[in-house]
Amino acid sequence: MEEKILDILKRNLNSVDIDTSCSWDNCATWDSLHHLSICFDLEEEFNISIEPEEMGCIKCYNDILKLIKSK
Amino acid sequence: MTYVFRNNTIEPFFDESYVFSGYGDISAIPNAELYIWWYQLPYKYDFNQIVRELISYKEMLQYVSNKIHNELIVFSLVNQFTCSIETGNVGLINAIDEFNKVARDLSNLSNVKFIDFSEFTTLYGNQSLVDWKYYYTAQYPYSPKLIRPFKLWWKKKMCQISMSRKKCLVLDLDNTLWGGILGEDGVTNIKMSGDYPGKAFHYWQEGIKELQRNGVILAICSKNNISDVEEVWNKRDDILLHRDDFATIRINWKDKATNIREIASELNIGLDSMVFVDDNPVERELIRTTLPMVAVPDYPEHPYNLPLLYDKLVNDYFSVYKLTLDDVNKTYQYISNAQRIEESSKYDTFEDYLSSLNMHLKILPVSEITIPRAAQMTQKTNQFNLCTRRYTENDLRLLLDSNANMWTLSVSDRFGDNGVTGLIIVTNDGRIDTFLMSCRVLGRGLEYAFATYVLQQLKALGVDRVIGEYIPTAKNILVKNFWTQMHFRCVEEREDGSAKYYIDLSNETLQIKDYYSIN
Repeated sequence: MEEKILDILKRNLNSVDIDTSCSWDNCATWDSLHHLSICFDLEEEFNISIEPEEMGCIKCYNDILKLIKSK
Repeated sequence: MTYVFRNNTIEPFFDESYVFSGYGDISAIPNAELYIWWYQLPYKYDFNQIVRELISYKEMLQYVSNKIHNELIVFSLVNQFTCSIETGNVGLINAIDEFNKVARDLSNLSNVKFIDFSEFTTLYGNQSLVDWKYYYTAQYPYSPKLIRPFKLWWKKKMCQISMSRKKCLVLDLDNTLWGGILGEDGVTNIKMSGDYPGKAFHYWQEGIKELQRNGVILAICSKNNISDVEEVWNKRDDILLHRDDFATIRINWKDKATNIREIASELNIGLDSMVFVDDNPVERELIRTTLPMVAVPDYPEHPYNLPLLYDKLVNDYFSVYKLTLDDVNKTYQYISNAQRIEESSKYDTFEDYLSSLNMHLKILPVSEITIPRAAQMTQKTNQFNLCTRRYTENDLRLLLDSNANMWTLSVSDRFGDNGVTGLIIVTNDGRIDTFLMSCRVLGRGLEYAFATYVLQQLKALGVDRVIGEYIPTAKNILVKNFWTQMHFRCVEEREDGSAKYYIDLSNETLQIKDYYSIN
């Protein structure tokens, strides 16, 4: 699961050096448009639905991991 | 840059290189090579209000198209609503039609192209077009599930617009063009009309004939006895594709890879512009592995599924935005080229042959009428192309404005008219910026006549010092030494293989062989 999340981040943020410390704050390409496409890829990959309220709360790798584990 | 006028969040549907207007904003029109207009119906329940907005979209589009001189691609509006309280009220439908009519009419302008977006949306039900979660959170007009299919569709659309389609369809005969095996079932028993399965093959041949009418070159590659096939052509009234419809045929017992290579070199086209259709999976596999550049679609197991194969041929390989008259005539030209090759063995010397052709060259300054063809040639010509500079119609207009000289070449001979097949662009400082010839007229020395004529013109205009360039690509090795053959002197050679050549016309006699008649 961890690998898949990182892959989605790398793919959407156009960067190969992304690790588990990646967040909205420290990644320049993580803007609101890319945020949406990350959400969509997570929904597809893990077959879940991310609610709009949750979309606003996943701002780093760890948030994402926590959210998906909770689903 | 490509600039997109939009009223919703559509960034995810395009590559990152596209630049987007504000939502519903036409106040700024930055300089771009290509503009796209892609508005969607506003998502509202009050249809009267939608109608009012559509009227304003129409006016905005008209305003924008007036301001733009480079290429503009306009998407049609599609009714994506899934409910309507008053189902007999046609107000909204009329407003959509009206907008689309304006967009279609604009496409009469040479720089505007119209795209019927329902082509894409009809592949999906209206219910699955929108994902309301993404509409409300980010104003995506369409579901993010459609991003990937949209990108593929868009790529294909752009290919159609730039005319980069396949050129030649190579067909097997037995159980491919007709039902049954000629050598076993006999001339009278192969099926291509009447009841099923003959009916399916009849319809299939009709489709192939239509491709040929639209400029696709046909060829046969079949393991058969040529005399048997000739008997089919002579005795079967129900065959729709006759010998004359094929630019070349390979009916023999050689392996098909060798045959296809021969077809490519005879027609002077690349293997990557060929599509091979054969019912035999072994033959398909042979071509896929030995000639991976050739497109090899699967053949349906049952003849009743031939329409699906035909759809695939059209959609994946042969569809274009619009064909020019030249494209349509091309098949006939390839056919007459094949006759020329057969003729060329009858003469003692090559010059005898050339002079027997009665070649007539028309070399004319580029005009508004020939600009589309000239731009198209810069986009498509790969082999005989000294610098391979790709231009749009508007690029050429700008060059003309900067006092560049441009000439096109048309050639006819006793086998037919080849249409516009050559282009030379000389900038106002005497640099030959572009020199290209369509490969279907090569092999007759026309390139030397054309270049010499243009040099004569330059000399008459008082230009003595002329620079020629060669920029190597994967495909233009053919012309590497062209300038030295034209008596230009190499003055600069760079590491990437590109080179500059120079000639002083005041010392040159500039003679053209007398078997070319010009203008």
